[in-house]
Amino acid sequence: MLSREEWLPLARKLDWDYSYVREDEVFPEVISGRPWLPHSEWQEWEESFKTSYREYVDNQYEKDMAVYAVRDAVGRLENIQKLAAPWMNSLKVHAAALALAEFTGVIGNLRGARFGRDSAWRTMATFGALDEYRHTQIPLLLFHQLVRWDSQFDWAHKFYHTNNWFAVAARHFFDELTVGQNAIEFHIATNFVLETGFTNLQFVGLASLARESSDHMFERMVTSIQTDEARHAQIGHPVLATVMKHDPKYVQYLVDKWFWRSWRLFSILTGLSADYLTALDQRPYSFKEFMEEWIIDQFLRTLHEFGLKKPWYWDTFEDELDIYHHMIYASAYTYRATLWFNFVIPGPAERKWLRQKYPKYWDDMDAVWEQVSERWRTTGPGAANELAVHGTAMPTFCDLCQLPLSAGTPRKNSARVLVHEGRKYIFCSDPCQWIFLQEPERYASHKDIVKRVLSGEAPAQLPNLLTEYFRLTPDTWGRDVHSGDYEWLRARKTSAA
Amino acid sequence: MPIALYGFLQGDTVGLLILAEEGDTLQALARKLEDAASLRVAGRDRVQLVYNGKTMDPTMTVAQAGLQALDRFDVISG
Repeated sequence: MLSREEWLPLARKLDWDYSYVREDEVFPEVISGRPWLPHSEWQEWEESFKTSYREYVDNQYEKDMAVYAVRDAVGRLENIQKLAAPWMNSLKVHAAALALAEFTGVIGNLRGARFGRDSAWRTMATFGALDEYRHTQIPLLLFHQLVRWDSQFDWAHKFYHTNNWFAVAARHFFDELTVGQNAIEFHIATNFVLETGFTNLQFVGLASLARESSDHMFERMVTSIQTDEARHAQIGHPVLATVMKHDPKYVQYLVDKWFWRSWRLFSILTGLSADYLTALDQRPYSFKEFMEEWIIDQFLRTLHEFGLKKPWYWDTFEDELDIYHHMIYASAYTYRATLWFNFVIPGPAERKWLRQKYPKYWDDMDAVWEQVSERWRTTGPGAANELAVHGTAMPTFCDLCQLPLSAGTPRKNSARVLVHEGRKYIFCSDPCQWIFLQEPERYASHKDIVKRVLSGEAPAQLPNLLTEYFRLTPDTWGRDVHSGDYEWLRARKTSAA
Repeated sequence: MPIALYGFLQGDTVGLLILAEEGDTLQALARKLEDAASLRVAGRDRVQLVYNGKTMDPTMTVAQAGLQALDRFDVISG
C-alpha cells in the first residue's frame, strides 16, 4: 500500500495524452481561457496545500462542528438581540451579499474543476467548489433563524433574486466574475485579485469588528470561511504565473480590471460596516487604516513578486480611500427605503472621529450630514416622518459597476458620459469607463436602473419601484435606526429653543 | 416630452436624474436640481450651470443650450 507521500502526487497529477480527440477540444479556449497553451506548459502547476480528499473532509467536518458549537452557545436569538442596532445592520448587509455570491463561486470553481488545465488545479478547484457550497450554507443556516424575528434577514436568501439596485450591481459583478467566466480569468480574478487581494484579509478584519461588537457567531462564521479562502485562493497564483510567462500584458489587464471592480463592491460592504455600522467605541480602526494596513501593502508586494505593476489608476484609488464609501453611505442614507437594512446618522462624536480619520474631504461630508440632521430637526423624529427625510428624485447609476454615481468628491463628481455606437453611457469614474471600453461587447447591452425606468421596464414612481421591482415592503425597507430621535439632535433643539 | 438629464450639484454625494422641459431656462433647471438635492445640500444664492465644460447663460432655454437626453450638467457655486 502506498504511503500518503507516495500516493498523493500520483492522485493529484493524473493527466494523460488524448488519442481520440484533440487537447483543444477537451479544453476549448472559450471556456478554459486564454492564452491557450498545450498541457506541457501547465504540467508544473503546483500549490502548497496538497490536500487529499480524506484530509479535506476531516478538516471541514471539524470546522463545521465548531460553527455549530458556537451557534448553539452564542448564536441564539437572545444573543443576537443584545447586539448594538447599527452592527445588526452590518450583519444584514453581509448576510445578503455573501450567501448566494458564494454559490456563484461554486459555479466558477466547478468550471475550473472541469476546464482547468492541469489535474492538480482541477483537484484544488473541486475543493474550492465544496468550500463555496459551505460558505453558501453557513450564512443561510445561521441567519435563517433570525427571519422570524426580523424579516430584513430574509434578504440573506432573497437579495440576489430581486432587482434591487444593489443586487443589480452585485449580480453584474458576480455574473462576470464567476458565473459566465472562463477558467483562467475566473481563477486569476477570483483567487488572486478578489480573495488574495481583498476577502481573505477582509474576513480577518470583519472577524475583528465582530469580536469588538461582541458578535461571536459572526466572528466564528467569517473565521471559518477565511480558513477555506486561504487555501483555495492559492489556485490563482500558479495560474497567473503560467499566463505571465506567455502574456504578461493580459495578466496586467486582468489585475487592473478586477482590482477596480472588487474595490467598488468591497469598499461598500466593508467601508460602511467599519466606519458607520460599528459602534464608535467598538471600532478598532477606520476603513482607510484597515485598507492601508491589511490590503494595500500586501497586495503591492504580491504584484511586485509576480513582476506586475500597480494598476494605472492607483492615484485615483488612493484618493477614493478618503471619500468614496462616505459618499455612498450618505447617498444611501438619504435613499434608505431602497435598501433592506437600516442606517444611523453619525452624531457629533462619530463625526469628530471621522474628521480625524479622514481630514482630506470631511468638511464636505460634514456639511451633508448637517443638512440631513437639519431636516430631521425640522420634521421632528418619528417613523411617520421617515419619508420626509428621504430623497425623492431618482438617483443615478454607473453603466459599468451599476453603483450610484457617487465617485470623485462632493465638490467635483468624477462621472463621465460616453457615446458608443450611437448610445449614451455614463460612468462613475475613469476606471469604470476604461473597463467598459476594453470589452464593450461584454457590457454594452446591460441596462442600469435609470435606463430600465426610462424604457418602462421598471416603474418610475418610487413606491412602485420599491415594492414591485426592488421587492421591498414597508416592513423591510430601510429606515433610520432611531427614526431621527437622536439625543444629540434633541439637545440641539433644546438649546436652539 | 421631458428630457432626462444627469444633474450633479456641487456639494452633493450622488448624481440625480432631472426631467427638464425644452422651454425651461437653465436657471430653472439649476433650481430643479437644487430642490431635488435639498435634503443633502443647502440652497445657495448664486449658482452657475456648466455644460460640456462651459458656464452657460442662465437665461437660455434647455433647447437653446442644446441639452439632449442623458447629457450631464453640473451646478456649481458662482
